[in-house]
Amino acid sequence: MVRLEGLVKTRSQGDSVFELRVPVFEVGPGRMVAVVGESGCGKSTLLDILALVMAPTSVDRFEIAAHPPAPPADAAAMWARGDEGGLAALRREFFGYVLQTGGLLPFLTVRRNIELPGSINGGSVPPGRIDALARGMGLEGCLDRMPSSLSIGQRQRAAILRALAHGPHLVLADEPTAAVDKARARVILDDMHRLAREESAAVVVVTHDTDLVMELADAAYTFDLEAVSAGMTRSVCRPVHGGAS
Amino acid sequence: MKGQGSPLRQIPLLAAAHLRHEWVLTLCLVIALAAVISPLLVLLGLKHGTIQTLRERLVEDPVFREIRPTQTREFSPEWFDGLAAWPGVGFLTPTILPLSSVITVALPQGTSLFDLIPTAPGDPLILENGGVVPGDGEVVLTAEAARLAGVATGGEITARVTRSRGGRSEAVEAKLKVAAVLESRAGSLPRVYAPLPFVLDVEGYKEGYAAPGRGWPGETPQPYPSFDGAVLLLPDPLPPIVRSGLIINTGFGRIADVKPGRVRELLGFEPPEGFAAYDLLTPGSPVTASSLRAIDAKLRGYSRALLPYAEGVVLKAGEGELRPVGLSPSAEEAAMLGLAQPPWPAFSGWLPESGALVDSLWPAGAAGNVNGTAVDVRAPGVKELDFLLRPAGTTTLERPVVPVELLGVLRTAAQRGVTFDRQTLTFRMARGGYRGFRLYAASIDDVPAIYHRLKDQGVEVAAEVEAIERIRVLDQGLSRLFWLIAALGLCGGTGVLVASLYAAVERRRRDLGVLRLLGFARRHVFFFPVAQGLIIAVLGLAAGFGGYAVLAGAINRAFAMDLAPGEAFCILPGTYVPLFCLSTVALAGLASLVAAWRATCIDPAEVIREQ
Repeated sequence: MVRLEGLVKTRSQGDSVFELRVPVFEVGPGRMVAVVGESGCGKSTLLDILALVMAPTSVDRFEIAAHPPAPPADAAAMWARGDEGGLAALRREFFGYVLQTGGLLPFLTVRRNIELPGSINGGSVPPGRIDALARGMGLEGCLDRMPSSLSIGQRQRAAILRALAHGPHLVLADEPTAAVDKARARVILDDMHRLAREESAAVVVVTHDTDLVMELADAAYTFDLEAVSAGMTRSVCRPVHGGAS
Repeated sequence: MKGQGSPLRQIPLLAAAHLRHEWVLTLCLVIALAAVISPLLVLLGLKHGTIQTLRERLVEDPVFREIRPTQTREFSPEWFDGLAAWPGVGFLTPTILPLSSVITVALPQGTSLFDLIPTAPGDPLILENGGVVPGDGEVVLTAEAARLAGVATGGEITARVTRSRGGRSEAVEAKLKVAAVLESRAGSLPRVYAPLPFVLDVEGYKEGYAAPGRGWPGETPQPYPSFDGAVLLLPDPLPPIVRSGLIINTGFGRIADVKPGRVRELLGFEPPEGFAAYDLLTPGSPVTASSLRAIDAKLRGYSRALLPYAEGVVLKAGEGELRPVGLSPSAEEAAMLGLAQPPWPAFSGWLPESGALVDSLWPAGAAGNVNGTAVDVRAPGVKELDFLLRPAGTTTLERPVVPVELLGVLRTAAQRGVTFDRQTLTFRMARGGYRGFRLYAASIDDVPAIYHRLKDQGVEVAAEVEAIERIRVLDQGLSRLFWLIAALGLCGGTGVLVASLYAAVERRRRDLGVLRLLGFARRHVFFFPVAQGLIIAVLGLAAGFGGYAVLAGAINRAFAMDLAPGEAFCILPGTYVPLFCLSTVALAGLASLVAAWRATCIDPAEVIREQ
């Protein structure tokens, strides 16, 4: 689904430099991959690069296999030639995104928020699907309300619905459980996992809640931080063995 | 990749949803824009309405289109033809001398003098003051004239035209039907408008002429004969004192001996042997009949012949030329000089009548001209004069002989227009010209051009140019004021829009980042503020026009007392409305560009984790 090889991303802040290295990162359809680690280890950076909103400093291979028999889209090449429109098109066609605080647009109803990725994609979500999904998530009464009138947990689930409703191939979730308690977090992650299976979408979950995600994820990646010099930190991404499956 | 245009189509919907969500801010913005637009529209409406009302008042009253001559001078018919063809000339008719254009109108008690003014079809003064252009035998009266004469439309007035001729007072009367009475706006003086031919007949009658068509007696406007000099022939020379006396109080200025050869050249014959011959001259002016009568009187008792002459009259007959001599001797003169008495009367100062003026005697040798048929001839003059010579016999002289009065008339024709009537075989003075005109421009905007063009021609004229110019200056001043205020308003409105749209982008950075994340490209989010700017502009325009409608209605109601029905002080010209809307929307689009640029700069990776 997504394959990333030899990624280097350098970010400098003041006189300190942070370097993220990802030798290999892979996620396949129907699988849920966890990205865990301390704050500042580069989890969000990796997610933004996967989400095609941050340019890699250098990358050997960055492929997104949208239509499996056809050759995969070469995101590395698109970044190299600055094809911003092409990257945006990939995002709206294949990606779903769950933000830490949901990231629902406050000026649209929950239903319009959920419909939006489908409608900007030129297609439309089949009628009934949203209601069915909402029922499954316990959101049936919330669809026609504004996001601000929902509880944080409801918003988070609405965001997951938005990320999944248009049938994306890859769902990226950035700390989806950060704002909720443990019990709610488990429900949310359960929902995501279930939906990923049902929709055979690949799911990448970034979280610092290692214990919880390790139980559910099919695979996991974590980061090794090392101080190269006084002003430079390097973080290398590696798979964690001993995941749930 | 399906649905390329789809993200762009979602942008206006999202922009509108955002504006609706923040409806309080949106309402404030719309009110702010309307507060700029409404006063501008009212100002534009006031400017246009005021100017239009002022102009319409001018346009309505033909007085403001009139261009009047301020001096009396002669204008030839050709001049009128030229003037009528000028661009912007709406109506033109010649007028006559002010002194001649007065008629006496019978009133219920006594009589009064009314101005008589010529009119013609299309006269705006009459047509635009509730009148109809009078036909023959009809007149149109001003309100004051109708009041004095105690008549109304359909009534009749009796007009009396008077003249004094030869010390006697003469008058004719005409019954004239009142075709219309003008509104009082047309003028406060008692005036009578009549067709030009009637006015010309009145003028002619006052000058002593007849108007046969109306049964008014008088002279026909015959051309007077004029001569270059006169030859005086006597059997014996005059005593010097008598000779000198001939140029005292006779109108003649010079007397000279003249040789027989010269007499032959002037009169076609040589005086008998031993005769004294004198040439009487009036240097610088023509010889008239009264001068000749004066000489006659001085030489009473002398046996003499006094023969006026006009030199160098050459007629064209077909391809050839004729040099006739003019001789109208009395029986005594003819006998004394040994000439045959011509069939026309002797010279008396009056023109021979019944066609005798164009009788002619032809040399015996010139056969073919004696067979009794008239000979068509042309004489040069102010206008070439076509007439005929009626053969009446033969002459022993070498040149054709005609009445000397004919040569005198032809000499006059060299200076004044003369026409020939083949029916009555008489000459008539052509109308010399007119003494004034009535001129109306087609529109008030044409007045200045015609006014200045006439002035350039040296014709002194007066017109309400100032009133027209004043409106133009006012229009310019108000326009400048409008643009000044419009510029200020536009700055304010644009500033408000720029600030608000920019602030909205800053406030919604995270949402715009989320939109990018959801798959909108930079070029899509660019249109988010643009769409908002346009929506606000359209709402602002709607509110602005609403405000304008209320204000304009109030203004027009407040001034309704001072306005005629159909007039309005505050009215928007139809062509300005789309222009105004278009420029407002365009400006709003421009104002949104800063915010649009700012929106494209948002990096989703930076903003999506903001709280």
